Amino acid sequence: MDFKLIPSTCSYCGTGCGVLFQVMDGRLVDTLPLKTHPVNEGKLCIKGWNLHEHVVSDKRLTSPMLKKNGQLQEATWDDAIQTAAEKLKAIIETHGPDSVGVLASAKITNEENYLVQKFARAVIGTNNVDHCARL
Amino acid sequence: MQEQVREWLEQGKVDIFLGYKNIQGHPLPHCFTKDNLDEVSELIVGNARYSLEKMATKIAAEHKELKIGLVTRDCNQRALNVLYVWNQLRPDNIETISVNCCPSKLKEHGDCSYLEPEKAAPLKMMIGIDNNMDVKSAEEFSQEDRYKRWIYELQKCIKCYGCRDICPVCFCKECSLEHTDLIATGSIPPEVPIFHLVRAVHMGGRCIDCGLCEDACPVDIPLRLLYRKVNEIVSDVFDYKTGTSADQSPFNMLGEEVTLKPKPI
Repeated sequence: MDFKLIPSTCSYCGTGCGVLFQVMDGRLVDTLPLKTHPVNEGKLCIKGWNLHEHVVSDKRLTSPMLKKNGQLQEATWDDAIQTAAEKLKAIIETHGPDSVGVLASAKITNEENYLVQKFARAVIGTNNVDHCARL
Repeated sequence: MQEQVREWLEQGKVDIFLGYKNIQGHPLPHCFTKDNLDEVSELIVGNARYSLEKMATKIAAEHKELKIGLVTRDCNQRALNVLYVWNQLRPDNIETISVNCCPSKLKEHGDCSYLEPEKAAPLKMMIGIDNNMDVKSAEEFSQEDRYKRWIYELQKCIKCYGCRDICPVCFCKECSLEHTDLIATGSIPPEVPIFHLVRAVHMGGRCIDCGLCEDACPVDIPLRLLYRKVNEIVSDVFDYKTGTSADQSPFNMLGEEVTLKPKPI
C-alpha cells in the first residue's frame, strides 16, 4: 500500500493555486489545497478541487484523431497536421484570413502562447486571438 | 513523538503513520511507513491543519485491514469519533498521538468550539456582524438584520464545493448537493439559501466544528455559525453532543422502534 502526498500547482488558470495531490497505489485519487501556499492560502475553486478527475479521466485523448466517414478515428501526427494545414489553407483561400480565430490557453506555457499568437498573426494573417476561457 | 512512531512502525502496531513533514518549506501531510523509517526523524506536528482522518477514511475504504496511525488535535479526535459512529473507520485499526491544539502561527485565535476564539481574527473584518460570533450573540440581532446579513453572505458563494470536499465527516458517495432534483445547476451563486441549508441540515449530528470549511471557503462565508446552530438544535432535542463519544448517534439507529426518548421542545 503506497500513499503519497505530492505538492503541485493547479494548471487551469493563470492564478496558480497550490494543490496537494493524494496518490494511492500509483493512482491519483484526490486533490487538496495547500494551506500554507501564499497564492491561495488553503482555498480552491471547483476546477482546482477536481484536478484529479481531469488527470485520470478516460476521456483524455491519447492520440491524434481524424474524422473519417463521420467518425473520429485514431491517426498519426503527420496525417493530422497535414489534414489540418490543408483544411485551414482552403478556408483562408475561400473566406479570407479573418474567418479563422485562434484561442490561447493558461494550460500551456507562455512560450507556447507566444507561438499561438505568432501563428495567428504571421502565418494565418489575422488578429483574432483570444483565450479559451471565452469558449 | 518520533521515537513512539518509530517503535510503532517497527513493531507493526501500525502499518502506516500519517503525520506532517516539511517539504519545500510547507508543512505537508506525509505517510510514514516501515520501509522508510529514516523519514520518521523528519516527522513534525506542523502549524497547518489538514484533515488526516479524511485521508485515513479513503485509505481504509480500499485497504480495510490496514492499521493506520495519525497525529490528532482535539478536532481530529472528534472527527474520528463521528467516523467511528458512522462506520467509516474501525477504532481497532486506528492509533492516535494527541498533540496540542491551535492557536498556531497560521491562526492567531483558537480554532475550535472548545477554545475561546478572540473576536476579530486577522483575516476576517468585522463589518456589522462579527464572523466569529457564537449563536447566542448572533440571535440578539433583529430578525431583519439577520436575514439581510445571511442573504448577503450566501450570495457570495461560488459553488466550489470546498466546504464539502474538505469536511472530515463528509463521506457520502452520492452527495445531495449534486442531486439535480435538489440543487439547480448552471448558475452562480447556487440557489440562495437552499444550497447552504441543505448542507447545514446534513451537518446536524455530524459537524464537529473543526473550522476547515471556513478555512476552505474562498469568499469567507460564516459556515461555522450556521452549523453550530444546527448542532445546538440537535443537542437540545436529542441531548446529543456530536463528536464527544463513539457511541451510537440518534441519527444512525437501524430498526423500527425508537428507543431514545426525544426531549420535549
